[in-house]
Amino acid sequence: MGKRALLIQLARLGDLVQTIPAVTALKEAHADWMLDLLCPAHLQDIGRILPGISTVVGWDGTEWSRRARRAEKEFRPEYVVEADADIRAVTQEPYDYACVLNQHPRAILAGALLARESMGAIIGRPLDQTLSPWAAYVRAIARDRRANRIHLADAFCGMCGVHPPRDVPPIPVRSVPLPHDLDPIGQSSGPWIGLLVGAGAPERLIPVTVWAEVIAGCLGALHGSRVVLLGSGEEQGRAGWIQTALSSSLVGRVWDTTGRLSLTELAQTLTRCRVVIGADTGPLHLAAAVGTQVIGWYCARARVHETGPYGQSHWVWQAEGVDGRAGETIQPTRWPIEETIALLTNQPVASVPNWSLWNSQRDRWGAYYVQAGQEPVAPLEREQIWNDLHPTAV
Amino acid sequence: MEYLNHNLDNLRQIAPDLVALLRTCSGGVLAMVPSREGSPSARYHDQWVHSAYDPKKEARSWAEQQLKEWKHEEVAVVLGVGLLYHVEALAHSRPPDARMVVVVPDPSVLKDALGARPLGSWINSVQWVTGTAEDVAAQLEARSSPLRFLTYGPAARFHADFHQRLEASLRRMMADKTGGRLHVAVVGPIYGGSLPIARSVVSALNELGHRVSWLDHHVHQESYEAFGSYRDERHRLMLQSRFADVLSLSTMAHLAEDPPDLVLAIAQAPMTLAVLQHLRKKKFVTAMWFVENYRHLTYWQQLAAGYDYWFVIQQGDCHAALKRAGAAHVHYLPMAADPAVHRPMTLTQTEQQDYGADVSFVGAGYANRRSLLPQWLSSEWTMKLWGNEWDGTQALSGVLQRNGARIDTETCMKVFNATAVNLNLHSYSGAGMDPQPDFVNPRTFELAACGAFQLVDARTLLPDLFTSDEVVSFRRPDDVPQLIRTWLTDPEGRRGYAEASRRRVLRDHTYRHRVQELLATVGLAQPDRIGAILRGDRLTTGLKERAASVPELLPLLNRFPAGQRVELKDLAADIRARASGRQLAREELLVLMLDSYRAETKDLV
Repeated sequence: MGKRALLIQLARLGDLVQTIPAVTALKEAHADWMLDLLCPAHLQDIGRILPGISTVVGWDGTEWSRRARRAEKEFRPEYVVEADADIRAVTQEPYDYACVLNQHPRAILAGALLARESMGAIIGRPLDQTLSPWAAYVRAIARDRRANRIHLADAFCGMCGVHPPRDVPPIPVRSVPLPHDLDPIGQSSGPWIGLLVGAGAPERLIPVTVWAEVIAGCLGALHGSRVVLLGSGEEQGRAGWIQTALSSSLVGRVWDTTGRLSLTELAQTLTRCRVVIGADTGPLHLAAAVGTQVIGWYCARARVHETGPYGQSHWVWQAEGVDGRAGETIQPTRWPIEETIALLTNQPVASVPNWSLWNSQRDRWGAYYVQAGQEPVAPLEREQIWNDLHPTAV
Repeated sequence: MEYLNHNLDNLRQIAPDLVALLRTCSGGVLAMVPSREGSPSARYHDQWVHSAYDPKKEARSWAEQQLKEWKHEEVAVVLGVGLLYHVEALAHSRPPDARMVVVVPDPSVLKDALGARPLGSWINSVQWVTGTAEDVAAQLEARSSPLRFLTYGPAARFHADFHQRLEASLRRMMADKTGGRLHVAVVGPIYGGSLPIARSVVSALNELGHRVSWLDHHVHQESYEAFGSYRDERHRLMLQSRFADVLSLSTMAHLAEDPPDLVLAIAQAPMTLAVLQHLRKKKFVTAMWFVENYRHLTYWQQLAAGYDYWFVIQQGDCHAALKRAGAAHVHYLPMAADPAVHRPMTLTQTEQQDYGADVSFVGAGYANRRSLLPQWLSSEWTMKLWGNEWDGTQALSGVLQRNGARIDTETCMKVFNATAVNLNLHSYSGAGMDPQPDFVNPRTFELAACGAFQLVDARTLLPDLFTSDEVVSFRRPDDVPQLIRTWLTDPEGRRGYAEASRRRVLRDHTYRHRVQELLATVGLAQPDRIGAILRGDRLTTGLKERAASVPELLPLLNRFPAGQRVELKDLAADIRARASGRQLAREELLVLMLDSYRAETKDLV
């Protein structure tokens, strides 16, 4: 009888989407396993479109926070009983394995509560704080801000004790009806370009005037093209400003969906775009996962080596400081507008001061990024890392 | 009349004594006015008690607001009677079994309410308490449940005095009975007069058995002064201000590492509004004891909205000003003395000679003192002047001690003890007497605690603190020479006053009293948190009783002594300390999980 395993991914949208190769690899390695997913409750809909997952369970962090606040005011045994009931609602019988993909204590504790055995971010008992080799590798990449030869999504595979899958096809997105007035998106001829209006952090926001220039450039260079503005309700204001900055002749070719799409509708909309451009890494990862090419603009703390979209043929513009490194304080004064249009139109791309351009590749050791104009990294170098970190077989 | 009789008959079932009282009282204090919606509304002294449009809707809205704060286990104490629309709305919307008490300061108002409209059976599901404020307080205290005060302002304002007395009585009762142990972080100033006060507060909290984190910023005084050495005033101010900001952040980091139940700042503590707002966001409870004259030091205007509780040494306008500036809770908390520091001393003959005089004054050279003290020099008595900032006062140069050097507390106590008549003139930046003489300075209490005789300028708040048999005060500068003359020749009379004032301080005016009062005030306002801890509800014993249905928790709780307070963070810390090399039990993992979310809410940095 196959084992029951629970994949625990309690981080954000981008991390959840980057869990796909690990799910695929686990299913390849253990076809008889029943694989469930524990993810934040608000991301459950995305969890459900991940191929290979039997059951998706939502983790209600808001309710846990509320309970912790009450328990902090006055500790009562009832709160432990309530917490226990929440855990038992996930599973009555412990899983055989928990694959814990976050280094956060609550993900590690969840693993200890829900499964007989945990693997992933740490080694040993929940409070041991000893990172597994793969988690240590990921942390070192972030801490030292150095180049990465193993994609985070593939490192997740390593944490689960498996090698990257042979192939990661686009995830099939169940057809969901879009709001009536948005349904024509992607249905007419001419390329539809998705543009992510927001960003994961304020310092990574691209000025609205810059986005307006990008839109004008796209609509001018690509015959019959349309631009779809994508973002949450909080980003509706920015979308409005972008449209205000456009000439009135272009406004009719811009479709504003901000604040109107659920996550599954967003996934559906992303499949209808030929390319998605933006600085918001979560939706960029989702776009890449549904098979749409992406062009990321990474500045401030966002780094292609940590959060580059998974797969092949994606592009990332990386803002760099004078020392050639990305950093929190880097605020570009020039933006790769024309150069992005050149990418879209398959024209030669000029270099941009203080920006580097990266292209994603994929081989049997997973995905990685190579700077434009440079040769792909020899597989041997990456194979060596895999051998050094030595995934523990389950 | 028909409504009144019906309602009284109804109420007789649970409150026969109250009904008897209502039968004898006159009523007729509320003026009934039909509301637009049709039901009766009322006015009291020409002011509306309920909405003129729709009293029921207004009452429902009030009740909804109260339900957000009222915890199931608390007894709701409704202040404000009116026509009882709000009580009715609350009674209907409360959870089953939730208990309510209505305080009735004036039975005539209740009689009017009972005569105005038919009231349902809900009036038998609430309890009614009446009598003097002290009686009511005793009845409420006897319930031994946490009390949540729910004030219906439009009706309560007419009995504000009664409610204040009620609250004061309850505070006293709570202060006397507190058994629980709080963790209080005391944030002190970098330097200045509030520094010894902060130290005394720390001592008092320790004496009372609370756990104290003393954030002593005095250790940074040298650096602060170094930043004040620049010639350009703008540079000085900018650097000292930034330095204070850094200290404020360091306070925040300290609080994050060891979160207290209450952050108590003493005047001049380096705390910025931004840090206070951040603390509030993270659910820290903050209080400030502003031991300053609010008219002279005005930085409270920038911080008023930042602290949850303000304690001030003035009343009236001071409270109104703080509330206008955004303070939510303002309470009067006068100064005090520390008997361990401010005490009678037996001096050697040499000390008596060095520090003694017929008349002494200890303090800084404020403008009013510079102008008045020369008037009190006389060949009839010897006089000594101690303290700093007396430069340029030629008339006083003959009596100024140690060339106007700042003197330490110990020297100060020796001067008080060695002097026959201690002058105590409150500071004022103008010439003459303080024209707004309200608060009573620390010196008054300290002199009294030393058993020293003093002549103090009259203050409006002094009679509440000392009787005229305990302290001698003067209203006019011209009266002082004659008072000195009189008392110098009456050592027995001086001793009588000095002993009486010392007894009074020890009875009512130590920092221990003030700290008890302060904590009881916060405890009353926060019955579910600070109040519960003070009552001792969080002790291991009580927790074990509650854990009877979860026996798996008992091994965890058994690790704590019966009298010790146990919180979530304590349990988690104990589990972590013992985690090495063993398999954690399910309950331990659950406690750790809860604690990981708790830590997040307190993660300040």
